[in-house]
Parts: sequence; C-alpha cells; structure tokens
Amino acid sequence: MFRNTYDSDNTVFSPQGRLHQVEYALEAVKQGSAAVGLRSKTHSILLALKRSTGELASYQQKMFRIDDHVGIAIAGLTSDARVLSNFMRQQAMSSKMAFNRPVPVNRLVSAIADKAQVNTQEYGRRPYGVGFLVIGQDQSGPHLYEFSPSGNSYEYYAMSIGARSQSAKTYLEKHYESFADCSLEDLIKHGLHALRETLQQDKDLNVNNTSIGIVGAPSVHEKTTNVSFRILEGETIQPFLDTMVPKDAPAAAPAPPASTDEDVQMAE
Amino acid sequence: MTSIGTGYDLSASTYSPDGRIFQVEYANKAVENSGQDLSRSTAIGLRVKDGIILAVEKLVHSKLLIPEANRRIQTLDRHLGLATAGLLADGRQLANKARDESANFRDSFRSPAPVKYIADRLGSYIQVYTLYSSVRPFGISTIIGGVDQDGPSLFVIEPSGVFFGYHGAAVGKGRQLAKTELEKLKLSDLSMRQAVLEAARIIYLVHDDSKEKTFELEMSWVGNDTNGLHVPVPKDLLSEAEQKAKAALEDFE
Amino acid sequence: MDHFPTNWGRPRNDGFDAYGTYPIAQRPYNGLGNDVFSEGVQRTQQPIVTGTSVLAIKYKDGVMMSADNLASYGSLARFKDIQRLHPVGTNTIIGAGGDMSDFQYIQALLDDLMVEEFTEGDGDGHALGPGEIHEYLSQVMYARRSKMDPLWNSLIVGGVKDGKRFLSYVDLLGTTYSASTLATGYGSYIAQPLLRKAVEGNEDNITEEEAVKILEQSMKVLFYRDARSLNKYQIAKITSDGVAISESRSVDTQWSFADGIRGYGAQTQ
Repeated sequence: MFRNTYDSDNTVFSPQGRLHQVEYALEAVKQGSAAVGLRSKTHSILLALKRSTGELASYQQKMFRIDDHVGIAIAGLTSDARVLSNFMRQQAMSSKMAFNRPVPVNRLVSAIADKAQVNTQEYGRRPYGVGFLVIGQDQSGPHLYEFSPSGNSYEYYAMSIGARSQSAKTYLEKHYESFADCSLEDLIKHGLHALRETLQQDKDLNVNNTSIGIVGAPSVHEKTTNVSFRILEGETIQPFLDTMVPKDAPAAAPAPPASTDEDVQMAE
Repeated sequence: MTSIGTGYDLSASTYSPDGRIFQVEYANKAVENSGQDLSRSTAIGLRVKDGIILAVEKLVHSKLLIPEANRRIQTLDRHLGLATAGLLADGRQLANKARDESANFRDSFRSPAPVKYIADRLGSYIQVYTLYSSVRPFGISTIIGGVDQDGPSLFVIEPSGVFFGYHGAAVGKGRQLAKTELEKLKLSDLSMRQAVLEAARIIYLVHDDSKEKTFELEMSWVGNDTNGLHVPVPKDLLSEAEQKAKAALEDFE
Repeated sequence: MDHFPTNWGRPRNDGFDAYGTYPIAQRPYNGLGNDVFSEGVQRTQQPIVTGTSVLAIKYKDGVMMSADNLASYGSLARFKDIQRLHPVGTNTIIGAGGDMSDFQYIQALLDDLMVEEFTEGDGDGHALGPGEIHEYLSQVMYARRSKMDPLWNSLIVGGVKDGKRFLSYVDLLGTTYSASTLATGYGSYIAQPLLRKAVEGNEDNITEEEAVKILEQSMKVLFYRDARSLNKYQIAKITSDGVAISESRSVDTQWSFADGIRGYGAQTQ
C-alpha cells in the first residue's frame, strides 16, 4: 500500500533523512493548475490558469486578495489555501491595528512558512497541500515570493508553480533579466506567454480560464486609478490576451521547451 | 547492525536492541543531504579575540532567486546570531524559539541573555523532540554565536540536543574539511576582519563545484567592530573577502 | 510641631497625616472600617513618583522636545537626575510626564519591541518610525485604560521619518492628538499658549537656535510657576540625521522681591 516503510507519517525520517510526507505534499501542489508570478521595478503580477469541471460549472478561484498591498495565487488544495489566506489577512489586520502600517510582505510570507513548518514535525497533522505565489508592494518596493508546504519561502524575480510549471519556469529563466525594466503591459505579456507554456497542445488562454493579479499603477487597458492589489478576470483581460504572439507564429514566440508534462508525474 | 526493516527505526521513542535511537541518526542524515529543500550546505562559526563570525554556503537552486534576499543566518537578539545546516524550515522554527527565550530572559533580568544560557535552553528544547513518537527530531545542526558579558562565545547544538562550546565550529555537508581548515588557524589571535577573510576562504574551499549548483556566501558578525550587534558583514568587506577567497582557491589548485 | 490651631490641646493622632505628606493611597484611613469591596482587586488609582511637563515643537529641521530631570514623590522633590526623554530606534523620541515607574515599564516594552524588529526584520528596511510607535503606544494605553488599569502617563512622541516631521500625544486614557506644539501636565496650561504663539504657522522657518530659545523660555516660565518642576532639564532634537539628547542644563532665574519690577502687581509706573 505504501511506497515504503517511512512515508506514512510526517514524524518519521527516512534512513536518508528525508521526509516523504512533505515530499508528497509538494506533489499535491503540482496537481493544481499553474500559476505564474513576475516582478518589475514598478509592479508585481500574478497570472493563473483556472480549471472548470465541465460546461455547466464555473471556473475555480485561483487568486485571493489579502490586503490592499498583497495578493496571492495558489496551486493545490483550495481549502488549505483558504485557511492560510485567512491567517494572512489576520496578520495584515493586526499590523494595521498595532502599528498603522501595512504588513511588510516578507514578514507575512515568513509567518505562513513558520505556520506550515509545524505541520511537518508533529503527529496527527498533515503538511499543507498548497503552494502560493505571493505578490505585494511595501516600503521596499514590489516583491514576489513563493511559499511551499515544506515551510520554506523564497523571494524571486519570477516564478511558477503547479502542473507543468517547469515549462513556464524555462520561459521565465530565459527572459527574467528583461523583466526589471518592463512596462506593466510587457510584463503581463511575458506572464501570459509563460503561463501558456503550461497548457496542453490543443488548449489556449482565454477570458474564462485566465486570471491576472496586479499590484502597482494601472495599465492603459484598465479603467481604474487603483494602485492596490486587484484581480482581473473575464472580458477585462481581453486587451492583454490580444497582446500575445499567436502560438504558431514561429519567429516572435519563444521556442517552447522540449519537455511538456514531465512534472505532472510523481517523483522517482 | 543495519537499521532498515528492523522496525526499531520508525519512531524517536524506540531504542534498537543495541541502544541506539535511529530516528535521531536519520535526523543527522537530514543535516547532510536533505532532498526537498536543497540545503545540503555547510555553515561555519569562528570565535576570535573580540567577536564571532558566522558564514554559510548558501546553495542557489534557481537563477530566478533574488541575490541576498533570502537570508540563511538569523538574528536572535541584538547580540546573538544563529546559522543552521539542514532543513531550513526547522532552522526558522528554532530561531523563533530562541528569540522567545532571549526575550523572556530580558524581561526577567533586564539584561541580555548569556550565549550559553540560550544554547542550554535550545539544547533542552531540541532534546524533547527526541523523546516521543508524536514528533520528529529537528533535522538541523545549529551554530549559535554571540557576545555577552564574558566576551564572545560559540556553541553547536546537534539534533540529539547535545551542545558544546567551540573556538571554531563547522556543521553540514562539508564540515570535515572545514574543521581541518579551522584547526590550522590561530583563532584567538585573529581580528574580526581577518576572521571574515578566513571564513570566506574556508566556505569557498569546502564548496564542491563538481556536485553542487552555484552558491552564495552569506556572512554575519558580532563583536567590537559592530558595537556588540549581530549584523550582516558589510558589502565592501564581503566582496573583498570573496575576491581573496577566490584568489586563494586558485593558488590552492 | 503641629501648626494647625484646631488640633492644639487635643490628643495626638499619628494616624492622621495633617500635611498630606503621603500620596493619598498610603494615608492611614480614618474612616469607620472597610466596606465590602475593600478586599477586591486593587488597581492603580493615582501616580506615585511623578514627572511633570514635557514640551515639544516642530521646527525647520525636525522636532524638538524638552523635559526637566525631576521625579517628585508627592510634593517632595525626590529624584533629581531622572531622564524623561527616551530615544526609541534611530528617529524617534518619547517624552513622558506622570508616573515614572509606568514610564520605565513603557521603556522596557518599547525595548522588547525594538529587539523584535531588529531580529525578525533583520534589516529588511521596515524599521518602525515615530508614527508606528505612536500608534502602538496608543493601542497599549487604550487597552490598559479599558481594563481599568491605566499606565499613568502623558506621552509625547516626536520624530522624523522619510523627511517628514511627526509629533503626537497620547495619555493614560488612550486619547491622542497631533499639533505643531504639544505640552503635557502643567505645561499644557502655562507653556502651550507661549509655544503656540511662537511656533504656529512658523514651523518651516524656525531655526534650531530659535527653537532652543523658545523651549528655554518656556521651561523658565514653568520653573517659576510649577512647584513640581526643576531648573535642570534636557532638550532633545530629532532631525533627518537622527536623535540627539542634550546634557542637563539650566536657565538663569531671578527670585528677588518684585518691588523693583515695573508693570507687576499694583504698581502703576
């Protein structure tokens, strides 16, 4: 039933010093549809692919607003994400209450990482089965973090999580050096191209299956003066989708990476 | 005797017939080669005449990471620093515990906690995680350093909870080589600046280019040069140390 | 000797403190025994060792604050080298009037907070400025008064962060307000009008020398009129360069009879 003797419980180290339950939780993140995050000097953005269970069903929610200056995109168990995002909202509120200060994004991410670590060390719990990309803007500018169920968090220039996220990562690694000076529109375009890499061959991004999260000054395509975190969905993202280079236009579009779906498989 | 398949290695609350606790031994393995968080790195600490230097070899698992943003050495109090090798998240958990201990001491006595006191409290805390099946031991070796009333002091705490004081300490993957290098130094004669240079050299030396990905050197110090505060080594000194370390490495090869 | 003629010829009562030398809570109770609540939870009902006024103004380069070095025990000038201006971090100062042990507790509270910031923030560029510290203190003060257990102080928080001056007040009730001149205690009656006249509308022009003069003048007036004050005080300035608290200083005062002074009392010329 179990793959080995040491993987049924998160309070057991394997002889190699590994924590199999934690590693499996990381696999749960890869079951969720992909999310991509990018950062420029002025903006942080998130892009996520929404799944729908069928014609009659709505699309899932992939992004959550935490505070005016912070938002997240998730991959993995949505219910775990709701618990953690509520916790993040509480942290954000208590910072406002105690110090009248928007919570620094790095401390917010560390707080959930520390919370997640406990679930990797104590009996009777399981590690969270969800990964986050967290974007936010604070006194030190725009940020992008990844949070994972192992209790780790890192700050990145750009990152992707979820199913087939390796393909998006390959795109991001190729282009990340240009992100810092990108306009918001170009940054989103890069993000959409990266997100598209995670799709199956016959699928494409459209107004129904794509979410865009932004912190920073609004784009010309937005009808707002809002600089705080906002989620764009539905028809409002059409102008951004229009900026994409069509898939089959060979020269302009970056070459798709050779491997497509390797990381949907379980490790080993 | 092999541990695997005996059934004696599935819980920290179980001894093997020859009196070993395999879960604690496996935790030591996690320090050296934990798979999931790419922390197979080395951390060292130097106790010199008037201060402490901590240095870690921070493996960079993606070029998308922002350099210097993801710190591995943690500050526990104004005068205390901590570096770990092993599971990163466990290291953060322990650092938070250490901050609580230090703050409690400060509240009780209105003075900064002695380094040994914190090492003692953390040792006891870690030991508790070797007693029960309901928890797993900490998968980290910890170097804790600081300057208190009696001057600089440096301790290492193992996953078993045992701790010792050191002049020079090394934990993690490259600790054997690092220890050999540390033993060659006259630590008590070094100035803090000299020790920074030596620490950088040792980290560059123990980093295994052939096996590991790229790495970033992270260093902090506390002592007379920093007004008793545990702070990152300033950028200019850090890059000077890195250049000298690279030069020394080329001479070595 | 008992100076109250009504007591003369009566049996001596050591249980009665005719001069009010003890703070009220410590005076022997001369009533007819205890009421049913006397064994109940006792809270701070008055300050014991107290500091008097704190003055603060905004000026061209930042904020300046002053307070004397006296901590009184009732009417007794008990401690004469108490510093009532306290730096917090690199760009904030708090000045305190009221109960000095409560103020020391607040200092410890803020020290813990700064250690927490130092360790958790670890140089992430999110240091607490005067605004954040004032908000925190106001939450602490309001929470304590809501428990009917107040920290018996009036506090002024001043500082400069990101080139902006900050000056605000919070007291034992959790009441807060901001102005370009602030004063606590007796100073809010005596010195505040003087400060307003000198500073209001002029905040961006007053030089450091002028600001010191304004505070010196006000401290002198307070020393003349406030029986719980001392002619030994400190001045703190907070500019974008950081915090500086002066050594203790004093002003020249004149205590001779007023008969030679023109324009005083019943004199007409």
